[in-house]
Amino acid sequence: MVGRAGDYDIDLSEIDKKPYSLGGYAEFVPLWGARDKESSLYKLNFYNSPQSDLAQEYNSRLQLEGSLEKGAALLFVRTNSLVAHTNQGWSGATKIYDAYLSLKPSPLLTVTLGKKAPKWGKGYAWNPVAFLDKPKNPDDPELSLEGLVCASADFTRSFVGSLKTVSFTPAIVPVYDHLNDSFGTLNQLNFAAKLYLLLYDTDIDLIALSGGSKSARYGLDFSRNLTANFEVHGEFAYLSNAQRKVLSDDGGTQFLRGNGRSWLLGVRYLSGLNTTYILEYYRNEDGFTPGEMNSYYNLVDQAYQAFLGTGSDSLMNQAIGLASNYTRINPMKDYLYLRLSQSEPLNILYFTAAITTIFNADDQSFNLTPELLYTGVTNLELRLKTSFISGVDHSEFDEKIYDTRLEFRARYYF
Amino acid sequence: MIHRLLVFCLLLGSISLCAYAIDGNQLLKEVDRKLEPEAYEMYRKFVNIDPEGTKKEFTLYMVKKGQDKIAGVFIAPASEKGRTTLRLDENMWLYVPNVGKPVRITSMQSVIGGVFNNSDIMRLDFSVEYDVEKVEEAGREYLLHLKAKTNNVAYDRLNMWVSKSTKLPSKIECRTNADMLIKTLYYKETKDFGGGIVRPSVIETESPLYKGYKSIMIYAKIQAKTLKDEVFTLTFMPHLESLR
Repeated sequence: MVGRAGDYDIDLSEIDKKPYSLGGYAEFVPLWGARDKESSLYKLNFYNSPQSDLAQEYNSRLQLEGSLEKGAALLFVRTNSLVAHTNQGWSGATKIYDAYLSLKPSPLLTVTLGKKAPKWGKGYAWNPVAFLDKPKNPDDPELSLEGLVCASADFTRSFVGSLKTVSFTPAIVPVYDHLNDSFGTLNQLNFAAKLYLLLYDTDIDLIALSGGSKSARYGLDFSRNLTANFEVHGEFAYLSNAQRKVLSDDGGTQFLRGNGRSWLLGVRYLSGLNTTYILEYYRNEDGFTPGEMNSYYNLVDQAYQAFLGTGSDSLMNQAIGLASNYTRINPMKDYLYLRLSQSEPLNILYFTAAITTIFNADDQSFNLTPELLYTGVTNLELRLKTSFISGVDHSEFDEKIYDTRLEFRARYYF
Repeated sequence: MIHRLLVFCLLLGSISLCAYAIDGNQLLKEVDRKLEPEAYEMYRKFVNIDPEGTKKEFTLYMVKKGQDKIAGVFIAPASEKGRTTLRLDENMWLYVPNVGKPVRITSMQSVIGGVFNNSDIMRLDFSVEYDVEKVEEAGREYLLHLKAKTNNVAYDRLNMWVSKSTKLPSKIECRTNADMLIKTLYYKETKDFGGGIVRPSVIETESPLYKGYKSIMIYAKIQAKTLKDEVFTLTFMPHLESLR
């Protein structure tokens, strides 16, 4: 059946709702990178298998999403499969990102059971208050993330006046062997909660996490439009008795405990020329100092020299044992994020040009990422992205594996 | 005799005054109700056509309640499916399924690109955002000169041509405060949607800022719907499609 409207039609079968849906995307991402063979990350990864100067990767990803809806119940599954071909050969993995049952007897109440990423926080590049989420990559913050298995509910009420909305979201997160086991200490039941308020046109979240898997932590975030085109947002997280693993003076490892704070302040501004500016400052008091990072990079250098000289990798294994901490995403204390994005430059529809930088204020190293995005063909997204780094020896970005990187992404939605 | 003549003149004067003293703001409210019920659901298709004739289409399911609440979810194409927009008074958010949380957006941005911006997609009643400064006679139509009530509205001024008989708009010019034309909307193809809703089913848009490009908005299945206020909350954004 077709509803005719002049030269344009709405195919009513297109808007008929089916109880099920299946969709997702397939993407192909070739990547070329100029390796920095003096960098710590190169030494950690390839100390015993030297690589060429030029890295080539060909990544193919398939994300499938399916849902089944009956009455107030919705079953949703999202899987993400990656097949990669690199200089080291083929590799691949499939992960279930989401798999949950949602019951929604009314708009006032939703109950969710299963695997889901809550995605708490207002920051664009970082989310200090996202206590239940895996850390996102500030280089590509809009990528979907693997969730965790939990039981949660949303209670929502709307009001007239300065307080427009209140939502309360409690969540229970079990952590056992093979169940959220990367979240923290095993055999614990964790409780988290978020209280959302839309108060005086400001989004406000109050967040808490307690339980044995991680130390107790409390958070606050907000977001508000100061004018129609100027938004300000922030997050504050307090971690009680948090533990961190560091390199000790004698070359061993030690665990330090203490209360930690991390926070973020950001703005988003849309100019009259349709340029979007996103600026964020991220402070993580639990992060490493330049001195601590330098000690670690020295350890990697020594371990590499020891391997080359004696063939022994015992020191390298020690460095690798600490790598998850020292080479994690943005491991230091102070960062600035700036993204300038120009929609439809020269009035070219569906075309976006952007440039992003992440600046480590502690060691003055940074990366610079220009990118071009074209979405002019229905369901096809083409992105060309390159990345340059700058920093002195033993600074965070100088120790990355690639000096320069070029990445092309062709993604087709279906 | 003189007394009768005076009464006649007064009567004639009153009738003439009634004809010309149109209450513009009241007329604008009538236009709003003619276009849409106070609480409704509907489908809208947006078609962007470039100078070569290539089309890009977006289909949304939308709900609105009262004077300050409107929400919409993209149901096509696949690349946009599940994207949800919400407007509560001047606050606007966009929920992208991959990103997984709502982010604030502005009225001047466009979630679909092209001539339509977020303000066109999530338009509240005209009478909520604009005051009528002046009403002029324009043949079979009234020409309403509208001025934005606040600086947060996407277009500072609107010139709206409204049919005297149907109280439906035929053309709207969107202008800046300095009277620069940003875009023109042509209301076409009046259609009976049922339930007493008779209104244009197509809006064609042209903009001197996008020479050669054309954007079309097509309406379908507009009907009154009872909705809870909680539908228009950030928490409900990922579930909006369940209302269909």
